[in-house]
Amino acid sequence: MTIMEPRKHGSAADGMVGGRMSRFEGELKITGSATYALEYPMEDAAHAVLVQSTIAAGRIVSVDTSKALAMPGVLAVLTPEDDLGLRACGDWMGSAAKDEPYYPLPKVVQFNGQSIAAVIAESREQASEAAKLVTFTYEETPSVTSFHDPNAGEGKLMPNLVVNWGDAEAALAAAAVRIEATYETPREYHVAMEPHGLVAKWDGDELTIWEPSQWSHGMARMYAEWFSVPYENVRIVSPFIGGGFGSKGQPLAYGAVAVAAAKRLGRPVKLAVTRPQNFTSYGGRAATRQTISLGATKDGILQSIVHRGMSETSIYMDYPEQTGAATPVLYKVENFSSEHRVVPVNTVTPGALRGPGKNPSSYGIECAMEELAYALGMDPLELRLKNYADHDYQSGKPWSTRQLREALTEGAKAFGWDRRSHEPRSMRDGNQLVGWGIGCGTFPVIRAPSEAMIRVLADGTVEVVSGSIDMGQGTYTILAQTAAEAMGVPVSQVVVRLGDSRLPGSAIAGGSMLAGSITGAVHKAAIAARDEIVGLALNTPNSPFAGSGANTLVVADGEISTTLADGPKVTIAEMMKALGREHLEIRRNTLSDDAQEAAEQRRAWTTMARVMGPTMGEFSMHSWCAHFAEVRVDEAFGTVRVSRMVSAFDCGRLYNPKLVESQWRGGIIMGIGQALLEEGLVDPRNGRTINNNVGDYLVPTNSDIPDLQVISVGVPDLNASALGGKGVGEVGIVGVAPSIANAVFHATGKRVRDLPITLEKLI
Amino acid sequence: MTRTIHVTLDINGEMHSLDVEPRVTLLDALRDHLELTGTKKGCDQGQCGACTCHVDGQRVLSCLTLAAQVEGRQVTTIEGIADDDGTLHAVQRAFLEHDAFQCGYCTPGQIMSAVACIREGHAGSDAEIREYMSGNLCRCGAYNSIVAAVREAAELTAGVRQKAEAA
Amino acid sequence: MRDFSYTRASSTEDARKAALEAGAMILAGGTTLLDLAKCGVAEPDQLIDISHIRGLDGIAVDDRAATIGALAKMSAVADHPEILSAFPAVSQSLSLAASQQLRNMATIGGNLLQRTRCPYFRDPSTFPACNKREPGSGCSAIGGVTRNHAVLGTSEYCIATYPGDLAVALVAFDAEVNLGTRTVSVEDFFLAPGDTPEKETVIAPGEMIMGISIPVSPAARHSTYLKVRDRQSYEFAAASAAVGLEFETDGKTVRGVRVALGGVATRPWRARAVEQALVGKVLTEEAIASAAALAMEGAVAHGANRYKIELAPRVIARALQTVGGLA
Repeated sequence: MTIMEPRKHGSAADGMVGGRMSRFEGELKITGSATYALEYPMEDAAHAVLVQSTIAAGRIVSVDTSKALAMPGVLAVLTPEDDLGLRACGDWMGSAAKDEPYYPLPKVVQFNGQSIAAVIAESREQASEAAKLVTFTYEETPSVTSFHDPNAGEGKLMPNLVVNWGDAEAALAAAAVRIEATYETPREYHVAMEPHGLVAKWDGDELTIWEPSQWSHGMARMYAEWFSVPYENVRIVSPFIGGGFGSKGQPLAYGAVAVAAAKRLGRPVKLAVTRPQNFTSYGGRAATRQTISLGATKDGILQSIVHRGMSETSIYMDYPEQTGAATPVLYKVENFSSEHRVVPVNTVTPGALRGPGKNPSSYGIECAMEELAYALGMDPLELRLKNYADHDYQSGKPWSTRQLREALTEGAKAFGWDRRSHEPRSMRDGNQLVGWGIGCGTFPVIRAPSEAMIRVLADGTVEVVSGSIDMGQGTYTILAQTAAEAMGVPVSQVVVRLGDSRLPGSAIAGGSMLAGSITGAVHKAAIAARDEIVGLALNTPNSPFAGSGANTLVVADGEISTTLADGPKVTIAEMMKALGREHLEIRRNTLSDDAQEAAEQRRAWTTMARVMGPTMGEFSMHSWCAHFAEVRVDEAFGTVRVSRMVSAFDCGRLYNPKLVESQWRGGIIMGIGQALLEEGLVDPRNGRTINNNVGDYLVPTNSDIPDLQVISVGVPDLNASALGGKGVGEVGIVGVAPSIANAVFHATGKRVRDLPITLEKLI
Repeated sequence: MTRTIHVTLDINGEMHSLDVEPRVTLLDALRDHLELTGTKKGCDQGQCGACTCHVDGQRVLSCLTLAAQVEGRQVTTIEGIADDDGTLHAVQRAFLEHDAFQCGYCTPGQIMSAVACIREGHAGSDAEIREYMSGNLCRCGAYNSIVAAVREAAELTAGVRQKAEAA
Repeated sequence: MRDFSYTRASSTEDARKAALEAGAMILAGGTTLLDLAKCGVAEPDQLIDISHIRGLDGIAVDDRAATIGALAKMSAVADHPEILSAFPAVSQSLSLAASQQLRNMATIGGNLLQRTRCPYFRDPSTFPACNKREPGSGCSAIGGVTRNHAVLGTSEYCIATYPGDLAVALVAFDAEVNLGTRTVSVEDFFLAPGDTPEKETVIAPGEMIMGISIPVSPAARHSTYLKVRDRQSYEFAAASAAVGLEFETDGKTVRGVRVALGGVATRPWRARAVEQALVGKVLTEEAIASAAALAMEGAVAHGANRYKIELAPRVIARALQTVGGLA
């Protein structure tokens, strides 16, 4: 096609911070030229395919590799009998590694679907077919396949997840109105569209890894420790990531296997984790169960919250999915008690999935609040506003900014909440029962230091250079906008280079901490670069401004000028020429002055040691949201469809509202999947995740999703970040599932307390 | 040695000759043998739509198509839908404008599906677009914007056709 | 996938002959076969590609029947105007299946031969026991996760659900399969598992589906296919029904009615008891409800699939109400 309507031009302000600029790297993605990890041309690469366990627990007595080795093209089979020579690596927090070996292909099977061998061949087809021929003799041991297993027990109490203030039990006993209910969520999975995998290549003792990474520096450090090589020798390349949602923040066993294979074979190795293998190569969100008791006065003033939660973990690591994470911060309550336990079962260790902790936690408290509203005969919106928290009752600190009241009232207005009829089953449209529900969400502001480099090139190009990553959140775009605004150049003059652990250090793209952190560093570096140019322009003899008498200069639209109307105007390229500079390079970080030593900097970029939680300063800082959902339930079939949603968010200042709205909608859609579709189904006999594919583990399709109206009610929060934003990526999903569960109750009068709300639970 | 066969494939109007095992899928031939990596592998099981490309103008899944099967047919991939001069296809432009993607991994498949959806006449309403784009999963959740982009590109295409017919 | 050879058949005779060789399998759209080859369920040594044979993809409707060639694509049949008007349930059963990409690939012949989505059948390395794959090895599904398994037509050897939609509509409207040298009704084409679940159809070595024919009937013209599932699209049925109705001249008494079920049985399931209960009756909600309940006679639940026994009659009832003008 050649005839086109004129391109819609946005305003010039689109390229500045807060502008609605289209995705900076967008053209690469819509033409198929964005290169993801497994797509780099690699001479002489061998292909590795994993073999996973088919039992839940036991010892591998022997492995028969003879048939696989006899297959055409097969180069090697790695099994638990091979010592790959790896050492344990330190954890995220930066605790020193234990002095012990690490076996990515273990002799003892801890869960079904654990990687226990790898076949390496000339082609992926050859490796994959040979992998089917590796056979194991197991000595099976008893297993616990889920926390529903009678042998699972009550698990272990996590002492750091015990929170108490006031006297919750006594206040509950004394309350005029009480409700108690137990809520469950199943195992849920990230299902990023790009499956995991990597290409590993050794050059001597230098290692390059092309792998999707939410944290290039942290992953490089962990690979270096596994393989006992200096950190500088490892390079992670990850400019494009096909979705992560928490799953791509650390190296995993398969990565160790591929790197070890590359070392052993002396040639590059490409390992693609198959879609089914993705379900057990790393953990999704743990299954959770929580019991919540609420006590209130007759007019709906909360008197007490008692929360007891648990989540599944693996038998080799305690990973809590914190069911009590949102419970203490959403409402004003003087008496509170919360405990969380982990129940070890034979599963891969669960991990962080969008809105970790806060998500299942808000599902519990937000359903419970709605149940309380019905016990009181009160509008659930009124109940929430009535118990609005004027400060953080857990930390005792004031909120930095909290526009949750505005989210509730503005959201209600846009939704038309005042037209609601309170009684369940009172709204109907033909065969369909209609229901409305609310769910509030929150996610803490997590701050982390970062560094950034600005390079000004001879042609006037401003390069933003950072090892941070963009998995779709919009890092490329907002950093271009930040640099353009701070430097005073049009955004078209900016180039952004990301996704390489050799580039300046950065916070992880996780916990919604990256945008606030990295814009701060880029802003700082860009301001310094601008000041540097201005300084040179004033003080260099060859400069057009030398001797102009001006004591400062303005940089705007890519031109340097004096504040005087008739003074000279010079482009940055012209100035670079006048200065005789090929480039100008400025590197800045946001670490405190006492952490500027090289070792401290390294620690900051490769561990979580310098990360600050939401109440570590004088304020309590969080993003907030309120979701209003409308569902239609076919009563005969039990099928639920979300027909309308309005969601109002307080995420502070938005660096690019167009991209933020996309992220919010993405979170909401994942929440719709969580509410209605998503559930890892585990065979209780052998712990196998039997729906380990996207035809059976259902995520929403286009036709499951109505138009989602999103509203920003935030105000800039300069305590939260340098430019006033709070986290965006995680909070979108938090509160969605309860809003839908509450709407289903309103529609049907049935309270489903275990997700997902599938049709058999309603017929 | 595994057996290989010689195939000549017409991809985006160019002929490519290659020796592959018969079991090599069109998807793997594109990505691993021809360095046409715009077509993505999301599941390799026909369940996600990321590998969508066109065979004789029809959208199909290249992960469940053998390379050998399409010899003699015309294959179009994401690399082949812009004009020769690089002018983007209306659907590509609409995707950019409406922010119809985030991570970008499902995007080539979505775009190939959308181009065909419009051509098939299945973009008549938002509901129809949703249904006929449901074979392309997007985990980032760009569905609203995808519908808006397909709607706009469909209207534009219809407008262009009307103009052409009037002329 | 196994390392197989690939040959293109130039004619159907060619294909049938080639397919007689040990380890040979016929490849058409590939959506089932290549998927199962990747799972390790299908292990062909040779693939005989019939998709380039000309003249096997016709779609023709006259005043007696629709005749559809084995290689017609699902999407082409679904969108064919005369299929849409004379057999709406057939068209809908196709449009509501899979995704448009798969419908552009999958052929009508292949569609009939699609195999169960039972996760135990599809995972041979973890679950060696499967009577469908390895006769006599046992059934891993029984006692496992059974939410999507069948409640009708099961045996102690197999409870796998027939996953397709089209065949459900075909069974309802007395369609026939042309196997080259003989023609059988679609209903007889599919076998219940009994003690030989590995035998899913009556197709014999040397035979190949050449096409199908669906007789024109008032009930087929006045029909619908209703598919109920958790996800709005791109999912197999939790329960589905193909129904067609013909009224007496009074416009309310049932002269003819067709009912078949999908998603709940081991094969496309004609619900004759429901039909018999309705013929001659005035179509009312009550008459429909009591008739629909008869569909579940003999149903057996295996744990989590119990809801299907409740759901399926409701799907039949809604479908009948819809075509009967009562919904």
